[in-house]
Amino acid sequence: MAVPTLDVFQVIADPSRRQMLRMLSEKSLPINSLAEHFDMSRPAVSKHVKIMYNAGFIAIEDIGRERYCTLKKDGFNELQKWINYFDNFWKGKLENLETLLNNKIKK
Amino acid sequence: MEKSIIHQVFYSHAPEIVWDYLTKAELMEQWLMKNNFELKLGHDFQFSVGPVPSLDFDGIVYCKVLEIEPLKKLTYSWKCGPGNGQITIDSIVTWTLQAKDNGTELLLVNNGFKEANFNVVIFNAMNKGWLDNMNKINKIINEAKNGSTNA
Repeated sequence: MAVPTLDVFQVIADPSRRQMLRMLSEKSLPINSLAEHFDMSRPAVSKHVKIMYNAGFIAIEDIGRERYCTLKKDGFNELQKWINYFDNFWKGKLENLETLLNNKIKK
Repeated sequence: MEKSIIHQVFYSHAPEIVWDYLTKAELMEQWLMKNNFELKLGHDFQFSVGPVPSLDFDGIVYCKVLEIEPLKKLTYSWKCGPGNGQITIDSIVTWTLQAKDNGTELLLVNNGFKEANFNVVIFNAMNKGWLDNMNKINKIINEAKNGSTNA
């Protein structure tokens, strides 16, 4: 079956693929387990998986006889936003502490 | 991915004083934020930071005291999220104090950010913002396609 390479928007345009990503956001799953949740043929599920893989949404890893799908987060910078937030947060707080301690010694 | 926030500051005060400001709730509140900290191993406590809508953060940090080495080291977990008990950030805060030049060198490390928790956040972000963008882009592509066919 020919597997088209789709961009990220086309990938998440499909409700089945969105459902698969949602399931993978909770935990990694073998393709077989994923397929059980969908009313479509196993090759059809594999095709969706391949599309998501090609677009960089998921990684596929062979463990034993199973092919496991894991959600990938490349290109999403949510974690970095949090880290930047707390970096600034701590910087500001440590300056507060310095001011507080210095005022204390003057008294 | 392992990311760490590290800040090192020298205070011209003895470690005993700095330690008090790190471990007494009423003193912590003066420079850090409101809290119910107690210097007890395994004690669960919270900080109220104030909500940050852009991060989908309800403003409460959930912590647990993990390690105490009086006057030298204090470690607690540092978790937060959008509310309803959901945790998107799961990290560790470690304070290390070292006596130096009649003062204290204070090292703060906030690290151990577990990436696994971000799957949900990322997916939510994708679902909210991206679908809108996708519709816009589809519209633009279709218009472009129609335009070129007509020409």
